[in-house]
Amino acid sequence: MPGALGFSAARQTPEPAALNVPLFRSLIQRMQDDARRVVLDLGPARPETVAMFGQCRCRLEIADLADGLDALNAIADPGELQAACAALLPPRRAESTDVVLCWDLLNYLERPALRTLMDQISHRLAPDALAHALIVYSTPRMPARPACIAPDAELRLHVSPATAEEKPAPRYSPDELSRLMPGYAVERAMLLKNGMQEFLFRR
Amino acid sequence: MFEFGKKGGPDSPGDTPPTAPEAARREAPDMSTSSPKPQATPGSAGRREAATIGPSIQIDGDLRGQEDLLVEGEVNGTIQLRNNSLTIGAQGKVMADVFAKEINIEGFVEGDLFSSERVVVRKSAQVRGNITAPRVSLEDGARFKGSIEMDSAAVEAALGKSQGANAGAPRPAVTAAPKTSAPEPREPAGPVPGGTLRSGAAS
Repeated sequence: MPGALGFSAARQTPEPAALNVPLFRSLIQRMQDDARRVVLDLGPARPETVAMFGQCRCRLEIADLADGLDALNAIADPGELQAACAALLPPRRAESTDVVLCWDLLNYLERPALRTLMDQISHRLAPDALAHALIVYSTPRMPARPACIAPDAELRLHVSPATAEEKPAPRYSPDELSRLMPGYAVERAMLLKNGMQEFLFRR
Repeated sequence: MFEFGKKGGPDSPGDTPPTAPEAARREAPDMSTSSPKPQATPGSAGRREAATIGPSIQIDGDLRGQEDLLVEGEVNGTIQLRNNSLTIGAQGKVMADVFAKEINIEGFVEGDLFSSERVVVRKSAQVRGNITAPRVSLEDGARFKGSIEMDSAAVEAALGKSQGANAGAPRPAVTAAPKTSAPEPREPAGPVPGGTLRSGAAS
């Protein structure tokens, strides 16, 4: 069985695995109307993401949280965790956020950090805002660090492993995610071929 | 399906002009004392050469000009080159709001960037701030944290405000959306550069 997000396959071939992600595709297709949106990308800045959202009327906010996840997981005090999450996110503006791209980052957050971060984000969301996430579901292990994930013109995701090291995957179930993210409802979830579960949450 | 780079939006990956910083260096007379002067390119006679802030130069304050500029030193304050291009070289460190026709970044920037044509974030760049420009491209490997205004109407509004603000004081906010994080651009206080200039203080 391939590893999470096709990492095993990616290690065997020079090109990153292209992952068909129907919910991501539907999300982006919805954005091709003429409405202005604010998109919050929790991952690192990627040329492909910038190019893709340049075709939409939007402001792209890039949080680049990947390097700060371990620090969040290490914080036990709820107040301190709340402050740390707020500090990692872009400054809050009057304009609310319409779309959140979590990529695979939620797998790397322990439960208190996941709950606190997504709660902080929920306060800046517009009504009916959408959040997209990829959750390791079928495989017990995952790469030790979040991957580099880039969309292509076919709205697939190309996944490049950041490391060959692995760690146990939390394997968050839909029910557990609903408990950890009370401000969000699962709009749709799909099991992908590589064993990941693709989620589209609605506020 | 989804065509990167249409609608005159941000450039597609790899669509960055490969020669801008190199050209700026090639044409730039070096005002610093530590770097050798670059040779003029054959055929460049009559063209206006870019000025250079060398690696040993630090400027604190507001910097305005009517010619292209290469920054390899350190600038803290505001840079206004409304009709010209700014290149922040690999050794450059800019902690400033920048207003320029075109902005190429290879070094470190912390501040808001406003460009009437394009912003190019090279692979060696580290940028923390907000970009407002009709076209933005980001190379693989670049580090960026902040927001990119992709909505052409918002970009025009923001640039229009900033151009209007340039004409007189007091200067209004220059972003389309309410902004809480970045400083307002300050009115230049004197001749170019308008602040203090130190040689040998750059890190």
